Amino acid sequence: MKSLRSYRKYRRLLAVQVRASVLLALQYRLDAAFDAAVELFYAATALVPLLVVFGTRGTVAGWSYPESLLVVGWFTLLQTVLDGIIVPGLTAVVEHVRKGTLDFVLLKPADAEFLVSTARFQPTRFTNVITAGLIFAYAFHQLGRGPSPGGMVIALVLLAFATVVLHSLLIMAIAASFYVVRIDNLAYLFTSVFDAARWPRSVFRGLAHVLFTFVLPFAMMTSYPAEALLGQLPPGRLLFALLGAGAFALAARIVWNRALGRYTSASS
Amino acid sequence: MISVTNLRKEYRVHRRAPGMAAALRSVFVRSYDTVRAVDGIDFTIGEGERVGFLGPNGAGKTTTLKLLSGLLHPSSGDVRVLGFEPRERDDAFLQQIMLVLGQKQQLIWDLPPADTFELNRAIYDVPAAQYKQTLDELVTLLDLSVVMAKPTRQLSLGERMKCELAAALIHRPRVLFLDEPTIGLDVDMQVTLRTFINEYNQRWNATLLLTSHYMDDVEAMCPRVIVVDHGKLIYDGTLEALAEKARPEKRLVLRLSKPVDAADLAKLGVIVRHEAAVAVLRVERDRVKESVGAALGNLPVVDLTVENPPLEEVMRDVFRKTEPT
Repeated sequence: MKSLRSYRKYRRLLAVQVRASVLLALQYRLDAAFDAAVELFYAATALVPLLVVFGTRGTVAGWSYPESLLVVGWFTLLQTVLDGIIVPGLTAVVEHVRKGTLDFVLLKPADAEFLVSTARFQPTRFTNVITAGLIFAYAFHQLGRGPSPGGMVIALVLLAFATVVLHSLLIMAIAASFYVVRIDNLAYLFTSVFDAARWPRSVFRGLAHVLFTFVLPFAMMTSYPAEALLGQLPPGRLLFALLGAGAFALAARIVWNRALGRYTSASS
Repeated sequence: MISVTNLRKEYRVHRRAPGMAAALRSVFVRSYDTVRAVDGIDFTIGEGERVGFLGPNGAGKTTTLKLLSGLLHPSSGDVRVLGFEPRERDDAFLQQIMLVLGQKQQLIWDLPPADTFELNRAIYDVPAAQYKQTLDELVTLLDLSVVMAKPTRQLSLGERMKCELAAALIHRPRVLFLDEPTIGLDVDMQVTLRTFINEYNQRWNATLLLTSHYMDDVEAMCPRVIVVDHGKLIYDGTLEALAEKARPEKRLVLRLSKPVDAADLAKLGVIVRHEAAVAVLRVERDRVKESVGAALGNLPVVDLTVENPPLEEVMRDVFRKTEPT
């Protein structure tokens, strides 16, 4: 009964937070339109490196051009998740810690990680879902077939796992703001490194392969779903992704709670 | 309701001498000082009490409020509020308290206050009927109807502060921690907020702990005061008793029909102010009756009042006495 009440509370809270973000976007219509246009342009430029590389060769690390397009499609989709859902709320935490306004989050009878994670969304960034859809459509058109229904379900499950991992990685990065005063650059560094996720995982060798599989598991986020859509993902990888997402979520929770203990609340 | 025993909060602060050489040295070798923001204080506050928490800047007032609301963890000692240990941040505890920080704001800057109220309703899980009733009351008592739909960034400081207070009361908290709630407000707005807070206290029997540098706030809202300085508690009792203890004298305010000589006034007490039509004297409490009689008998007095010394002066004396030597 208590958990049901709690579920309803958080569901309503999420709805109110989403509503506030939409209201904010509507408040500044020109900003929103400009933002959406920049996102579309940015998504288009994400294709440029791929076009350059495949202009001189037929395959890269065993991936054909349309197969690689599927990876770029997932990268675009995850970029939307990152810029539209995860980054806006979490980067505000840095400012909250610096100014001491995190006080108001910690005084609320709700999970602080949930509150900061859902405090702000960027609805305009969701224009890239359309871009991702167009990339998928073009890639399958080039392949001369469509995705299998099972593959689509697995890919969507992997999208959920990838969202959890991205959120966890950023929570751990943001937690540093409780220890050092200015870490704005850390969030920028993270989004820059995330660019590596636009390439199929087999492109990376040696240390980079280990880094992008286990430390920053971008391979799981973009290459696995693409392989699932192609019907080429070994079932064990899904279990690996599930365990990985769980491990990252747990680690983020521990780091976040420890960081909260360090909060000194800037004096007023 | 609130009990604090031997509460301490220490911070480790990096110290270095001024200048480039010291700055470079501090990159490799750091030295730290331990600052005791709160240094072993004890007090209890009962349900429905209104208590002023006073002290000079850096005395440990805000730190104590943050310890009581669970924002900071004590270095040692015991804190209980509503039977909870604040540092645990139990939802049932947070559901019953509020903290207003006069210099920080929780209102969403670009949206009207109504949206922050709605967000807090969801966070505190306030039933719809109770929310409507509370909001209607707050809007009426604080006169918020004209500001509800304006973006927060377009509100004046006073309007914002009223909305901050409303946002913090949406869930009808039983314990109110107010840190400088009237800072920067004009006199009218200060009076509005004081009246409102007193009414809230009486209506809901809410407990109030207030810090303010405006002594008018304290006089209007707090029959009891706790005074801290350098992290230590130096007084806990009524305002009246504090004034008597720090300034064992009264003020005689004389309104005169014509000017009088300073020498005649000096016979009655120490002259604080001497103008053609007004004179203010400081008189020992046990000589008040005698001085009043002499003033009425010997001087052209048209009006006479006996007052306590201004609280600002009382507090200045209190803190001067506790200055480290």
